[in-house]
Amino acid sequence: MAIQKISRSFKDISLSFVPHPVTKDLQILKNESAIRRSVRNLVETITTERFFNSLLGSEVRSSLFDFVDFGTSSVIQDQIEVAITNFEDRVDNLKVEVIPRPDDNSFEVSVIYDIVGQDFPTQDFSFLLEATR
Amino acid sequence: MPFTKYTNLDFDQIKTSIKDYLRANSTFTDFDFEGSNFSILIDTLAYNTYITAFNSNMIVNESFLDSATLRENVVSLAGNIGYLPRSRTASTARISFNVTTTSNSPTLTLKAGLVCSGASVDGNNTSTFNFAIPEDITVNIINGLASFENILIYQGIFLLKQFEYDGSLDQRFILNNSFIDTSTLRVYVKKSSTSGLGIEYYPSEDIFNVNKNSRIYFVNEVQDEKYELKFGDGIIGKKLGDSVGSDGTLINATYITTDGIEGNDASNFSFIGSIEDSNQNVISPGSIIVQTVQSSFNGSNIEPIDSIKYYAPKLYSAQSRAVTSRDYETIIKRIYPDTESVSVVGGQELDPPEFGTVQISIKPKNGSFISDFNKSEILSKLKQFSVSGINQKIVDLKILYVELNSSIYYNFSQTSNPESLKSSVINSIQKYSESDELNRFGGRFKYSKIQQVIDNTDTAITSNITKVTIRRDLQVVINKTSQYELCFGNRFNVKPQGYNIKSTGFKILGEGSTVYITDTPNIQSGNTFLERSASLNTKTGIISLIKFDINGNVVVVSKNAGTVDYEKGEINIETITITETTVPNNVIEIQAFPESNDVVGLRDLYISLNVSRSTINTLRDVIASGDEISGTRFVNDFYTSSYSNGNLIRK
Repeated sequence: MAIQKISRSFKDISLSFVPHPVTKDLQILKNESAIRRSVRNLVETITTERFFNSLLGSEVRSSLFDFVDFGTSSVIQDQIEVAITNFEDRVDNLKVEVIPRPDDNSFEVSVIYDIVGQDFPTQDFSFLLEATR
Repeated sequence: MPFTKYTNLDFDQIKTSIKDYLRANSTFTDFDFEGSNFSILIDTLAYNTYITAFNSNMIVNESFLDSATLRENVVSLAGNIGYLPRSRTASTARISFNVTTTSNSPTLTLKAGLVCSGASVDGNNTSTFNFAIPEDITVNIINGLASFENILIYQGIFLLKQFEYDGSLDQRFILNNSFIDTSTLRVYVKKSSTSGLGIEYYPSEDIFNVNKNSRIYFVNEVQDEKYELKFGDGIIGKKLGDSVGSDGTLINATYITTDGIEGNDASNFSFIGSIEDSNQNVISPGSIIVQTVQSSFNGSNIEPIDSIKYYAPKLYSAQSRAVTSRDYETIIKRIYPDTESVSVVGGQELDPPEFGTVQISIKPKNGSFISDFNKSEILSKLKQFSVSGINQKIVDLKILYVELNSSIYYNFSQTSNPESLKSSVINSIQKYSESDELNRFGGRFKYSKIQQVIDNTDTAITSNITKVTIRRDLQVVINKTSQYELCFGNRFNVKPQGYNIKSTGFKILGEGSTVYITDTPNIQSGNTFLERSASLNTKTGIISLIKFDINGNVVVVSKNAGTVDYEKGEINIETITITETTVPNNVIEIQAFPESNDVVGLRDLYISLNVSRSTINTLRDVIASGDEISGTRFVNDFYTSSYSNGNLIRK
């Protein structure tokens, strides 16, 4: 029986469920994009949302209705850092920046990290957090 | 890798199984990281599996009588083997009253429904309950007086429910009230054109003697402790309908909803009922004085799930036939719900044997005796279940009291208050005395258990020396010449010099002083041990009556007043006329020391640990507390004998 080689790269499924335009297979997220997705999932998951794992996630959403200022930014930054440090083992040298944008009632979040054990450049991605009610 | 762990009920294990499967079979790798998309999918899958497994487990549990937990499932499963759980039972009382009337009517009718209200007093709280009757009661008027004598009233509210049968297969007749006493249920069927309640239908539990014209109905418990009526289909039981020969389509069901056990002990009844004359005119009865013949009793709650699980298989195995003693136990509990414990002894096991009889003793839940009325009612109901040619006899309960004399050693460095230690020991013994081990026929008082109970009450207790006494209360007939036999069912411990049997005082005809019972074992020959040619015959002895003179010396009143059989534990007192007893209620308390500290409730004896008559002493354990290590003070000041005292009479 042939020995099956298992890649050491990270592979995750895409929850968009849009088929690949050529192969018509489900789309796959690989390496840095898989980790990026995972980090976003952690930030967006509300604690107690996951069954039998009540600590997973962050409390970011509850802070979005507070004043859009540097105080709240600092709280959100802290929450994101705690969530990623606790539940995403693949990242290191984490740095989170949260900039309040009071005019849009939103926060701009930049997450900067290195991927552990893989030869990738420092990752940096940004997203907007906005209270949508 | 095959996915084999189907039976997991733990979410994490299910999740681990899915991950293990994916690790071996998938090209994906990120499922180990909680933030990944795959992890979300696995969580959803595992949760789904978990819910399904839990549901399957519950469904299977609820499918069997042993493991079902929801009442409606237990009731339904018990119904499959022909068991209808007992409904709540209304407390019943008996009252009498007279109505004076100037009416020309020949009769007066007390209408079904509310009759009177009664009050029960529990400590400082007085609760008022309504009492009703399920059917009209009609009496004749004699010289302007109608006497309602000894009528049975049920605690609760009388209700009427009407259904109209429409012939559809899915129609159900559910009585919409919980807490119904089904024994008060009356069902009538009539045509819409006729007046009155209709023709009465009767409850049936089986299909014996039932044909297509039998006016019967079946009653089932359904959800929320409500009841459903089921009628015949024209083959088994008469079918409802408007066709020729049918009784009609209007069903009237009357019943009483009750507070069950809460309604017991109500008396002081006042009349609030409705009385009609023979022309159905309501008459004003004026002021009526209700005489309480018997306060309310026998109310009980609906049969609990545990009891259904216990009795349903037993009733099924008895097949509605009282043959073995277990059958009697099940059937008596069914026909007399107030039963706490039943003892059934075949006549061949009695001494002397009484072939062809079955001796039954019943311990009711409240109190020690059942009334003669209830006895005859139980016997008549029992007849339909019993084997022909066998006579049942209900005998009064015989209580064998076990009394303790316990000396408890405590380490006084661990407790500041020996009195509180004593009361907590009494509480522990009280709790043990209420346990099932004792309070039943065939129960056994276990000496080692009671010693454990005492020792484990508090860490300060270092040991206990507990002596056991057995006692029976001899109910004497005052001023009547009688013979008495008292059976303890346990072998007595015998000291050759006597003092084995002690009693409280009583007076006999022709003797002014109070006399007591004592015993002397039969000794064959010789005065000292070495002179005796044979060993002591300590199997039997004689009963003597003694009294004390003014100096406190013992005077024998009657040397040969009876016999005692130490082996059987039986005391016979020959012809005697007792005029008075020192203990109230014409009772002589007679005690003995059991040969074995484990006391058995033989045949119809009901063992009861009498805590209030037990003695608890607390003694300092000077050795354990470190006061002294040699034990010399202990043996002098804190010594306790493990044997009975030398008192001549019961104190």
